[in-house]
Amino acid sequence: MGKSYPQTIAAEPWPENATLYQQLKGEQILLSDNAASLAVQAFLQMCNLPIKVVCRANAEYMSPSGKVPFIHVGNQVVSELGPIVQFVKAKGHSLSDGLDEVQKAEMKAYMELVNNMLLTAELYLQWCDEATVGEITHARYGSPYPWPLNHILAYQKQWEVRRKMKAIGWGKKTLDQVLEDVDQCCQALSQRLGTQPYFFNKQPTELDALVFGHLYTILTTQLTSDELSEKVKNYSNLLAFCRRIEQHYFEDRGKGSSSIRLS
Amino acid sequence: MAAPLELSCWGGGWGLPSVHSESLVVMAYAKFSGAPLKVNVIDNTWRGSRGDVPILTTEDNIVSQPAKILNFLRKQKYNADYELSARQGADTLAYIALLEEKLLPAVLHTFWVENDNYFTVTKPWFASRIPFPLSLILPGRMSKGALNRILLTRGEPPLYHLQEVEAQIYRDAKECLNLLSHRLGTSQFFFGDMPSTLDAYVFGFLAPLYKVRFPKVQLQEHLKQLSNLCRFCDDILNSYFRHSLGGKLAPLQLSFICVEYLHILLGLYKQNSLLIEEVCALSLNAGL
Repeated sequence: MGKSYPQTIAAEPWPENATLYQQLKGEQILLSDNAASLAVQAFLQMCNLPIKVVCRANAEYMSPSGKVPFIHVGNQVVSELGPIVQFVKAKGHSLSDGLDEVQKAEMKAYMELVNNMLLTAELYLQWCDEATVGEITHARYGSPYPWPLNHILAYQKQWEVRRKMKAIGWGKKTLDQVLEDVDQCCQALSQRLGTQPYFFNKQPTELDALVFGHLYTILTTQLTSDELSEKVKNYSNLLAFCRRIEQHYFEDRGKGSSSIRLS
Repeated sequence: MAAPLELSCWGGGWGLPSVHSESLVVMAYAKFSGAPLKVNVIDNTWRGSRGDVPILTTEDNIVSQPAKILNFLRKQKYNADYELSARQGADTLAYIALLEEKLLPAVLHTFWVENDNYFTVTKPWFASRIPFPLSLILPGRMSKGALNRILLTRGEPPLYHLQEVEAQIYRDAKECLNLLSHRLGTSQFFFGDMPSTLDAYVFGFLAPLYKVRFPKVQLQEHLKQLSNLCRFCDDILNSYFRHSLGGKLAPLQLSFICVEYLHILLGLYKQNSLLIEEVCALSLNAGL
């Protein structure tokens, strides 16, 4: 599914100064980007690879694909969870090597489910729900820039996201339908997780990192209403799952929890 | 439950009941769940908007989009998934997401964006089934819609370039096909012996790719190497769609088969076999 890396990449060990870039945590970053960044951080923690998080207002523009987060390792810059997993694998670290082919297929399918439903719902809520757009998104997205750039960039991004929603058939959805989809997705994840600690029993994989990134961010981000986080809270095993990963991979290693509060 | 269910959809060709993926998903699901669907093929008549096809019409409802149509059928007690466990239901959602994210862009590209394919196969086929002057406009619009969808979901803002994403979407699609093949293994259907929603979706996405003859065939070639997926499509076509393919000539074929059987019984088979064989062959050719 990805590019193949030359031997030189594989030969270099993971450097101590590897950095992850995202937008400014307090004032700028949005729900969907924060979820993506947290997923990558969780994945790297699970692989035991050190990473330093650096916040830059123009992280989105620095990224090679226009999406955050991206990591800077040695002289390579890689963005988004999928390519980062491939890159880390080329360096000899992998969480999913122990899975058989059918399990790998399942893992990839569930990752697409999260992207297809959860991420799209987050984007919809942020950019297509008038209340959220007006109260939160516009202000946050343009906050590092002076007038009128802040408005122009925010409107441009909103137009872009709305085009995408229309192209995939979400343009005509109402907020209630979107929340229904989120509920369906959470139900599927909850049923798949069952009573196991991680999705593939004892060891976490990139799927666990991705699900954690999204669910944790939804649970800890304050929006105009609590409807989104309520949908996740209905499933107790998902809550326990988030708590478990937070405790094991973030608190225990001395990092504070990365919740953001939107005012 | 007794209300007549009518499905408007694109017609068939190359041995398929419909060449349109979404229409095929609904038709397959209806067969699996036993829903009595009356299929109205869109042909050269002016009939409302075609952009939303497939559309299910009942006495009081009009439902569009495959996911909503399937939901509606389930509520009407036509449920192909009632034997599935909760976990299998969750897997269904996940695999459908995989199909939409990883396979669909390349299928759209093969049908609507790849120039050789679009101008020699797709456009003439659709244009011949749409009345003039819409036939000049609609295929182009569908092609632009497909390109838009590919670029907006896989391309990189702000300058969306097709070349950058082409290689990636075909790589993703081939991997998706491999994953499906691994998951199916040697089973007849994805969840045991009975077909379910997931089988309808996989069939709907794969069958047109498998059967329609294109000049540029890289994805099709890859699919044909995965013999269990090809067997899966052929099985469903043979078991669930065989009789409807003959169309008006199916009763005629049936009557010839009866005549032949009678002759066997009466011991006249040997003398008349040649004539019967010829007539049967003629009717089969005409029917398909």
